[in-house]
Amino acid sequence: MRLRAMATLGALFVPVYLTGQGLPVAAKAATSTSKSWTPSRTADGQPDLEGVWTNSTLTPLERPAEFAGKEFLTEQESADYVKRLLQQVNTDRRDGGAQVDVGRSYNEFWRDRGNNVIADRRTSLIIDPPDGRVPPLTPEAQKRVEAARAYMRDHATDGPEGRSLAERCIAWATAGPPMLPGPYNNDIQIVQTREQVVILNEMIHDARLIPLDGRPHVSPDIRQLLGDSRGHWDGNTLVVDTTNFNGENSFRGSDANLHLTERFTRVSPNLIQYEFTADDPTAFTRAWSARIPLNKTPDRVYEYACHEGNYALTDILAGARAAETKK
Amino acid sequence: MRLPNHLRLSIFSAVAAIAMLAPANAQNQAYKPPRTADGKPNLNGIWQAMNTANWDVEGHSAQAGQVVSLGATGAEPPGIGVVEGGEIPYLPAALAKKKENYANRLKLDPEVKCYLPGVPRATYMPYPFQIVQSGKFILTSYEYDGAVRTIYMDNPGPAPVDSWMGWSAGHWEGDTLVVDVTGLNDQTWFDRAGDYHSDALHVVERYTLASANVLNYEATIEDPQVFSRPWKISMPLYRHVEKNAQLLEFKCVEFVEELIYGHLRKQPSK
Repeated sequence: MRLRAMATLGALFVPVYLTGQGLPVAAKAATSTSKSWTPSRTADGQPDLEGVWTNSTLTPLERPAEFAGKEFLTEQESADYVKRLLQQVNTDRRDGGAQVDVGRSYNEFWRDRGNNVIADRRTSLIIDPPDGRVPPLTPEAQKRVEAARAYMRDHATDGPEGRSLAERCIAWATAGPPMLPGPYNNDIQIVQTREQVVILNEMIHDARLIPLDGRPHVSPDIRQLLGDSRGHWDGNTLVVDTTNFNGENSFRGSDANLHLTERFTRVSPNLIQYEFTADDPTAFTRAWSARIPLNKTPDRVYEYACHEGNYALTDILAGARAAETKK
Repeated sequence: MRLPNHLRLSIFSAVAAIAMLAPANAQNQAYKPPRTADGKPNLNGIWQAMNTANWDVEGHSAQAGQVVSLGATGAEPPGIGVVEGGEIPYLPAALAKKKENYANRLKLDPEVKCYLPGVPRATYMPYPFQIVQSGKFILTSYEYDGAVRTIYMDNPGPAPVDSWMGWSAGHWEGDTLVVDVTGLNDQTWFDRAGDYHSDALHVVERYTLASANVLNYEATIEDPQVFSRPWKISMPLYRHVEKNAQLLEFKCVEFVEELIYGHLRKQPSK
């Protein structure tokens, strides 16, 4: 029921979420996969990806420095790591004094990070490059990202533009594409027909419509936050190709030239392996890829009416104006 | 009159055939829609209303717009109305509130603020929407604000909480998709004319293919706190038949930031 409560509370809690953006998040242990398992088919004869799935996992996108050079953990190392992580991120702790308590007020009730790392105990969701890190940005992209950061820093409360897209309820960083685990509401629903796949992300009620009929991408003049997606089947794998981004929803420094390829393969009744490759020659010095398990969940996707409940943005700006008059 | 047997049989067959082709009442019952793989009428496609119900579900004349600088581009187009019987049966106090809403519509219409449109308004806004129909779910995705509904075909039980787009349970009655919508909050309107409802709203929608490219839409609206009896709207929805038709992004939140937050901007220091 906590997710249901959140749906109505909407963006009230957005700013606190942002401080948790780098938190490792997530999942029930992935079901072990069997090579001989044959996916069930939809009535149309396609591999059946339908249902509600969650990408919650404690495994971080990038390999932490402490595991540099170590691609996988042993069972014991992994158990110790999980135990330590769960202790570190636990926002119900009250051992840091009043100031720290305030920071933890967005407590465990809200969290949806799961309680385990991914099943193969890889130390990062990134599988390529081999160091498990997002490759360096090109010098131009570095400048662009720094300028955007400086603007946000220097104009944080001047108007809506000083806040993140998430706080403005325009787009959610982890809803993607590509889709990554976030601190909460990690559920997606896949609906499938012969001609169309829809990926409905609970955050922030984004439904990505993906035609499967081989049509070309829309004109390069049309630019969208979520890009323009086309899908096709490669054996039992759904391949989704997305271009036409507007660059506003920058993903780890990406710009409007991001070319994203996602692959969805159902490898067992309760698991879809989701892989993406991000290629953007004007942003990244090389293409990179990550693999994230999508675990089946009996839950449903609820309405996340973000903008409608966005009292936070009003309060942040009104608070800043009130503070100015007191100076 | 006595006819040869083979002729009597032919006449009988012809009459039977005509009877099968043209059932007495509704025209749309004669149309045999294409089926999905699981045998249901195939409603997949991109649809859009071609009327001015979003301006006012009741019949209305054209009039000048609310924003002078928009001139004719902001003027309000006329419409014959989509309410069966012509008028919404408001309770007296509710009618007064509707009139107040109308007078203040530029300020109060949730569409102006890019809020989720609710049901049934989402269906006849001046934007296309797409039906994605599989066996377990029917998803309706609306271009306006990226609004979306999941119509559960497996009896999802009662609405867990009120929401903008409500809680939709679907079933088939013959070739008609019937959707029972509950759990709607009291924040949405039916149109730009201030027609409104309470959180006791209950909507029953009926979607029936009338031909390859026409989907008949009906919604019965019940809300004892606002209306003296249930009332009904009906309209055809038309298929987007253009090659490569698709929904594009109309994420309007960004477009209303100046309207909603503009007064809170930092002013240049004097």
